[in-house]
Amino acid sequence: MEPVLVEGFGVEIDPEEITRLLGRGSGAPGAAAGRLERVIDEMLSRAGELIAPRGIYTVTPGSGLLGSTHFEGLERVAFCICTIGGGLEREVSELSAGDELLRAVVLDSAGSVAAEETAGYMERRIRDEAACEGLRISCRASPGYGDWDIEEQRAIFKLLPGERIGVRLSKSCMMIPRKSISFAVHVAEDPVRLRGENSCAECDVEDCPYRPPG
Amino acid sequence: MDEFLKSCAQSIIDGDGDVAETLAKQAVDDGAPLIDVIEKGFAAGIREVGRLWGEGEMFLPELVMGAEAMKRAMAILEPSIAGSGGLKEAAGRVVIGTIEGDIHDIGKTLVATMLSANGFEITDLGADVPAGRFVDEAEEKRADCIAISALLTTTMNGQKKVIEELENRSIRGQVKVMVGGAPCNDEWAKEIGADGYAGDAVAAVALARSLVD
Repeated sequence: MEPVLVEGFGVEIDPEEITRLLGRGSGAPGAAAGRLERVIDEMLSRAGELIAPRGIYTVTPGSGLLGSTHFEGLERVAFCICTIGGGLEREVSELSAGDELLRAVVLDSAGSVAAEETAGYMERRIRDEAACEGLRISCRASPGYGDWDIEEQRAIFKLLPGERIGVRLSKSCMMIPRKSISFAVHVAEDPVRLRGENSCAECDVEDCPYRPPG
Repeated sequence: MDEFLKSCAQSIIDGDGDVAETLAKQAVDDGAPLIDVIEKGFAAGIREVGRLWGEGEMFLPELVMGAEAMKRAMAILEPSIAGSGGLKEAAGRVVIGTIEGDIHDIGKTLVATMLSANGFEITDLGADVPAGRFVDEAEEKRADCIAISALLTTTMNGQKKVIEELENRSIRGQVKVMVGGAPCNDEWAKEIGADGYAGDAVAAVALARSLVD
């Protein structure tokens, strides 16, 4: 299928997610708590102005990812690239260079949450389309996670015109803007678990600070 | 004096730059022994911030607030010490940056800020820094240590290139090398012949201290 461009949607940034990413400590809120809350509010609203969520995806046979054997034998796999754009990280750099590291750190974290929400939005969109045909989707997998080699980003960018949403790949396979996510999901009646699934349940770093409690 | 020093430390623990700045000005105006004010006051505060963070009692923004408050206090104290002919020796000189091909910046900046708050003289080269530039700057600044960040498996090999470049110029013995970033660990540091690995900004301060001692 022709790649589908999705834009003009918004994403919610949950302040709780920002503090989780920043590794909220186990101690009682310190003297800085009030000031910090104000900075989080301020950066949350700034993030809302700076992000421009967009995504592009296609559904192909697993063999459609040229040069990759990762999805061999799978009849339908959806590949997606999405981003919040480059505005937020430009401001993070400016804040950081201007000795405003606290604001930079909080805004960067808000950007990570927004990028994750953008991927979630795209995933739901693909899921809803699959549902129209009575199909389901697997969890998301991303290059660089598990045993899915990050170098296969190149294959995804051959399959999908990232430039249509303003995302390119550096020589070191890094997406620019950084707050971008690429992923694959298996589309089938009974989807398989993909290697490279980026869920905490699949990851063996037990004491990771980003792992949600419980 | 003890109470005053405690207040200085507390302003850093509270991450309150306004109070830290006011106390620093007061110390200068009162002609207090500024080296003591730093060592037993503000620096004691930043060490406590590091300890609390290391024990999970603080979270990252509070650590940053402490470091920023420290920076504001030092901006007032350091010129006064220099002006009065005193000498505040840097804990060490560190050249820091993110390796070529990698534009992740903020983690490295955090490490630089914490090192600076703990008395190190920092040259921050930013991100996407070629191996040769680390070595050029280290030579020029007569650095004690080079700190190299890499956030990608595709770029971490660049850390090794910096060490090779130091060897090529026959100055490996003069400069310590520390590495950090998501894909790095102690084994990687050992494999490439670095002097140590630090997993976060507080660990980086402890490692830098042990390397330059």
